[in-house]
Amino acid sequence: MSENAVTPSTPVAAAAPAPGTMDASATRSRTRSRWEAWTHSVFTLREDRFFLLLSVIIGVFSGLSVVCFRLAIEWTQIMLLGPSLSPSFPRVVLAPVLAGLAVALLAIHVFPHVRGSGVNQIKSAVYISNGYVPFITVAGKFVTCALAIGSGQSLGPEDPSLQMGAGIASLIGRSLRLSQEKVRLIAPVGAAAGLAAAFNAPIAAVLFVIEEVIGTWSSGVLGAIVLAAVSSVVTMRAFLGPESLFRVPPFRVAGPEEMLAYAALGVAGGGVSLVLLKWIAYARPKMKALPHWTQYLQPAASGLLIGLIGIRFPQVMGAGYAVVDQAMHGQFGWKLLLLLAALKLLATGFSFLSGTPGGMFAPALFIGAMLGGAIGSMEHHFFPSLTATVGTFALVGIGTLFAGFLRTPITSVFMVIELSGNYTAILPVIISTMIAYVISRAYQKVPLFDVLARQDGVVLPSIEERREMMSIDVEDAMRTDGFLVCEPEEPIVEVARRAEANPEADLLLRMRPGEWWLLDREDVLRLASNAARTTTPIRAKARGPVPYLFRDQSLAEALQVIGDWPLLPVASRANLGQLEGKLTLADTLHAFRKAPKEE
Amino acid sequence: MSATNQVTVSEESPRVHSRELVLLLCVLALLILLALTAVLSRLYHKKVHTMADAMFTQGEADEQAGNVAAALADYRNALAYNPGNARFQFNLARALEAAGRSEEARAYLLNLLSESPGSGAVNLELARIAAHNGSMADAMRYYQSAIYGEWDADPIAMRWQVRKELCDVLLSRGALKQAAPEVIALQENTPADDFPRLKIVAQMLLRTQQWNRVQDLERLLLAADRNDQESLAGAAEAAFQLAQYQTALGYFDRLPRETREQPDLSNQFDMARRVVTADPFLPGLSMEAMARRAASALALAQSRAQSCARQTGHPLEQTPPQTDLQKQFAQVKNMQRDWSERNLLRFPDRVDDAMNFVFNVENAAASACGEPQGDDRALWLLGRSRQAVNR
Repeated sequence: MSENAVTPSTPVAAAAPAPGTMDASATRSRTRSRWEAWTHSVFTLREDRFFLLLSVIIGVFSGLSVVCFRLAIEWTQIMLLGPSLSPSFPRVVLAPVLAGLAVALLAIHVFPHVRGSGVNQIKSAVYISNGYVPFITVAGKFVTCALAIGSGQSLGPEDPSLQMGAGIASLIGRSLRLSQEKVRLIAPVGAAAGLAAAFNAPIAAVLFVIEEVIGTWSSGVLGAIVLAAVSSVVTMRAFLGPESLFRVPPFRVAGPEEMLAYAALGVAGGGVSLVLLKWIAYARPKMKALPHWTQYLQPAASGLLIGLIGIRFPQVMGAGYAVVDQAMHGQFGWKLLLLLAALKLLATGFSFLSGTPGGMFAPALFIGAMLGGAIGSMEHHFFPSLTATVGTFALVGIGTLFAGFLRTPITSVFMVIELSGNYTAILPVIISTMIAYVISRAYQKVPLFDVLARQDGVVLPSIEERREMMSIDVEDAMRTDGFLVCEPEEPIVEVARRAEANPEADLLLRMRPGEWWLLDREDVLRLASNAARTTTPIRAKARGPVPYLFRDQSLAEALQVIGDWPLLPVASRANLGQLEGKLTLADTLHAFRKAPKEE
Repeated sequence: MSATNQVTVSEESPRVHSRELVLLLCVLALLILLALTAVLSRLYHKKVHTMADAMFTQGEADEQAGNVAAALADYRNALAYNPGNARFQFNLARALEAAGRSEEARAYLLNLLSESPGSGAVNLELARIAAHNGSMADAMRYYQSAIYGEWDADPIAMRWQVRKELCDVLLSRGALKQAAPEVIALQENTPADDFPRLKIVAQMLLRTQQWNRVQDLERLLLAADRNDQESLAGAAEAAFQLAQYQTALGYFDRLPRETREQPDLSNQFDMARRVVTADPFLPGLSMEAMARRAASALALAQSRAQSCARQTGHPLEQTPPQTDLQKQFAQVKNMQRDWSERNLLRFPDRVDDAMNFVFNVENAAASACGEPQGDDRALWLLGRSRQAVNR
């Protein structure tokens, strides 16, 4: 059990050396005893606390890994594409093609698990393989993603960072032989750390892991996730600085009429998210069904297509944070913004469908920013009275597409606030993201990560479905009649009279508020037939005290306590002596049967 | 958790020792990774900053060579590797502005302004964009912020320059009332021995029609260089506008003929000469000359009245007189004999009345038929200056 303390022995008291025997062995002995004392102080931590300490170490490791990863991407980009934002013609085509070939070879022969979604691989670790994330995948993600993104493939570093964090955490957890439960939970802790460092946004990372990987606000892991995320961001900032991924221009939200403009952005964002989702859902199985040998060429082919786009529009290559920055600062007209959004969507689809390792977060941010900027520019064009800048729309667009495409609405809202450092963005972001989320959900029932998992033949729990699953409560199954409440001082004759008047009713004896006993009906009737007027029901056969429920408790909880009891009283929370109903096992099962089934 | 649940080393010693070792290895690995990251990060940042600086320098060179498109690309590249660099952003914004992409420039500048709201340079660029876009309220606000903002080098000179630019912008838009206080403030902030700048200020004062200030300033400038043509012209114009026609003529006379005959000056010079020639009150005139000038002015005024009456179609002899001009003409008929040259010579006190009549006729004619030209204009100007003096 996790609560077992991980405790070394009480330190052995160092034997006092005899006078005049302070030789080398005594010194060694003293050193040893100090070491033992230190290890004792460290390892006497209960595993929960030790887990928190570990989360900080994991955070620092993840932060450092992400720094190295980002540096590797930048170096690769400079070496392969050159330092200019507009690479020269031969480079822009050759770099992604050759890098694509190399990535394919590495992914097929050296790092077989680097393809696919990092989020799903972590969910697999949590729900299938007891927290095991192979460390070779971490190395593989590092090398192949740096090569792919650095050569211009339209993918992002966040998903690989998340997986690297999880892999490091898993390795540490396994090496320290933590309990099975903790090893399973440590991968999401590392994932949060990796994502936080990649985004430079700890709150968004924590929320994403909770919203998409774990699915619950478990207090057992929340503290560790937060600590890991914070420590990784602190580490990353020590090397790469505190700046956001892109600089957000100052903005304000003027009047309610602007909310309509953001609502329009939400509709557009939902539509574009759907296009990308549907395309991936449709085309990925087709690509996987192609002959095996094509896998050697698919990343190169996608690199060629992206390179051809990049000749004229180099902005779509790579993660594209610098371009998002430019869009935020109103550097593009609405036509170019729309074009860039469309081309990025194409390029991202090519890259992802070709099996090139890399994440979809950065492309989603890019497409969202371009779409937001385009809509902002158009609205400015047609409604000059709107005061919001294009940058504001681009920023809100980021959250919108994130919510529509990745289906993590809470993360999206907080990510925008965290990136902008401006709380005034919250209203437009909420409006826009929620509209995009609702549209995406309405027309694409299965979220992206679940689609990918099912296409890979793995059935992972759908956090979105779990989040929205209807809970069946006690009040849905309880009966408000069919019982009689008896008092301890009530004459048994009177109880028998009422029982005879209600032949189907169960008899519940209220000993005191919150203490219920179940009376044997036959015995009450038997005693009453020849009892004195002063005889009370206490003398009858009874079982109790019976556990009681409240009407708002779930039936799952009720099942846990019902045991062999023929029924459970349902008491009022305001007055434990007041009975609101009764619940039987048959009623419970009946309620489960008639509950609406999720599609 | 009760103490009895605790597992001791003696019970699970292999596991605990393993953890110690793993933790130790973790710490070691962490230190190695930390050192490696520090080295890589330092190398990377050094390389990137060198590249960014080189691109920025190239951008400056391109900008100076007038190749704005190349400068833009260089600045963007530089900024990609050092996104927080305010100087890079500023230069990019300036290049964007030069390329006519003022909205994009404005976005960058607003970002810079949010980081350093007191920056004189950023406010100045924003003011230029606002002025270019015709948002004069914003332009004024940014110009004022630039004037009172922070400047890295020679803040006094920069503030003077910005205020001058503000004055230029206002004057170019014909906003003389708004420009006047700024030009006066510019004069107040110009050192008395900085003659090149004082000359600029004098020109601006001329444009804002601050004639007294112009005159004082030009006198100061002429004291330093009595033959400076610009100052002479300015002083002449100021004296002319202040109705000091003789003084103006003195300045005009000191100008070379070719300067004096420039279109903007020649009219004033001609008019000043006419006024001085027609003025019977000029100090030092003989009685004969005074009477002759007054009589000549009377004749001119009558002629102007008749021509104006023809122009308007209201005969001068109409009884009873209706218009101002008719009333004035009726008076002259009564006084014609008293105001003959001979009588004016005999009774010099009548010159004043005669000239007042002349001025009234010229004013009435100007009201009815528009501003006069030639000698009539000279008399009209003389009358206005006399009225001003009397007031």
